[in-house]
Amino acid sequence: MEGIHLNDVHVQFDHPSGITIAVDGVTQQVPPRSFVSIVGPSGCGKSTLLAVIAGLQPATSGSVDINGRRVTGPDRDIGVVFQEDSTLPWRNVRENVEFAMQMAGVSKGERAAKAAAAIELVGLKGFENSYPATLSGGMRQRVALARTLALQPGVVLMDEPFAALDQQTRIFLGAEVRRIWEQTHQTVLFVTHDISEAILLSQQIWVMSYRPGHVIDVIDIDLPDERDASIVSSPRFNELHNRVWTSLQKESMRGFQDVETA
Amino acid sequence: MAVGIEPSQQAPPKRLPPPRGARWRAAQRVPQGVRSAAASAVLLAVLFVLVQIGVASGALRQTGLPLPTEVVGSTLGLLGTGGFWSDFGRTCLEIGASIVAGCALGLGAGIVFWKLPLLGRVFEPYLVSFYAVPLVLFYPMMIVLVGINAGSIIILSSIMAAIPLALNTRTGLQGIRPVHLKLARTLQCNARQTLFGIAIPAAAPMIVAGLRLAVVYALIGSIAMEFTTAQNGLGYRIRYLYETFDNKTMFAYIFVVLILSVLLTVLMAMAERVLLRGRR
Repeated sequence: MEGIHLNDVHVQFDHPSGITIAVDGVTQQVPPRSFVSIVGPSGCGKSTLLAVIAGLQPATSGSVDINGRRVTGPDRDIGVVFQEDSTLPWRNVRENVEFAMQMAGVSKGERAAKAAAAIELVGLKGFENSYPATLSGGMRQRVALARTLALQPGVVLMDEPFAALDQQTRIFLGAEVRRIWEQTHQTVLFVTHDISEAILLSQQIWVMSYRPGHVIDVIDIDLPDERDASIVSSPRFNELHNRVWTSLQKESMRGFQDVETA
Repeated sequence: MAVGIEPSQQAPPKRLPPPRGARWRAAQRVPQGVRSAAASAVLLAVLFVLVQIGVASGALRQTGLPLPTEVVGSTLGLLGTGGFWSDFGRTCLEIGASIVAGCALGLGAGIVFWKLPLLGRVFEPYLVSFYAVPLVLFYPMMIVLVGINAGSIIILSSIMAAIPLALNTRTGLQGIRPVHLKLARTLQCNARQTLFGIAIPAAAPMIVAGLRLAVVYALIGSIAMEFTTAQNGLGYRIRYLYETFDNKTMFAYIFVVLILSVLLTVLMAMAERVLLRGRR
């Protein structure tokens, strides 16, 4: 039972005006050491699904197993990279990267060595003593990524980590994440609303429908493992892009109508 | 000159004449702190000279101000007397104890109000209105309860210091970005780790601002209550000298209180730099 297994996961929110079904019966698996992306229109429950997998949000019904263990709450073996800037402004880059290990009780010497390696991996060498206030948004996300990777979690969950960044930084960081993944081969589940980003990064894409969210299409990305941003102009990339877009289009339209009639 | 302060900086090539405005740029390289300290020193010196001239020429006769040089002289004279050190020690003890107790109380209350929002909501209006009350007015009551001693002053000054700190701490903790608390959860931080690793440092800008207020309130509270009724202390001495028309010595004591408050402010600024390292 390696990897991430989702068994009929449902999530619903009760509020005074009624019930919102955010996730409606998702049964999928992320094979170990693979990179899977979830693509869907905004409000489709993809971030909710990720929160359930991270143990931050209980599922209404159904279950999640990670590497053979049932998820009942947050776990340090599940690394999470958030959409918002989660760097700690009172710590410099090295101290930020060491933070997760410090909370986990890793010894000082080991912490320093692992932090140095993680900082090098994300390309922040030379910025160890800089404070987040002096770094760009992209660099801060690298710090958050290094902090997660330094703990060497069994799985890494990324919740639109580059959504707040500009297009260029986003493509560049996407390629970096792909390069890092090729080195570490951790199990990654990546949430995004950017189709190109998903295709560029992943081995498999799950397309989620608008609320109530469920997986409507699973697309294997048969692009070569060694890829960089230049693959965006290849015919195969365009075919895959069209395929994802066709699945997504209907759902996005449905989302729009829903908003307009609401 | 800047060269003396930053010896590591490269000397300009000798043959070229320094460009226009080079002196000004060199001045800008001097650390901000040194520049503002120099500015304050110059300002004080100017004020000192102006008052000196004013008093000497008789223009300020109405104010009853003694010559600044005499005040400095009698202040230096005070330093050799045991009575001065006894007053000074008592006031320092009161201020120090109320800062420590007030900070502990304020920080603790702020954290409790954050952890138990219901309690916070119930108590906040009282704290806010208490904040506006001159608590010095309760000093007579405290004297009846505790007696005319340092204890009653410390208790009231501590409360005065604690209130702004409690309010600021609560506001700061409530303003923590949710993603930081989410991070703490994903890292399985226990309550202690979350409080000291995330919550307090995240709220630090507000807490430090509250700390500044706490120190000021402890100072004002202690001196003002001594001034009202006490048997010892700088505030008491100033009042005593004022009632016995010993103008010169009174101003020497006032001068000491001024130095004490400037010293506390400088200490707080230094603490702020350390506590808010890396932030804007």
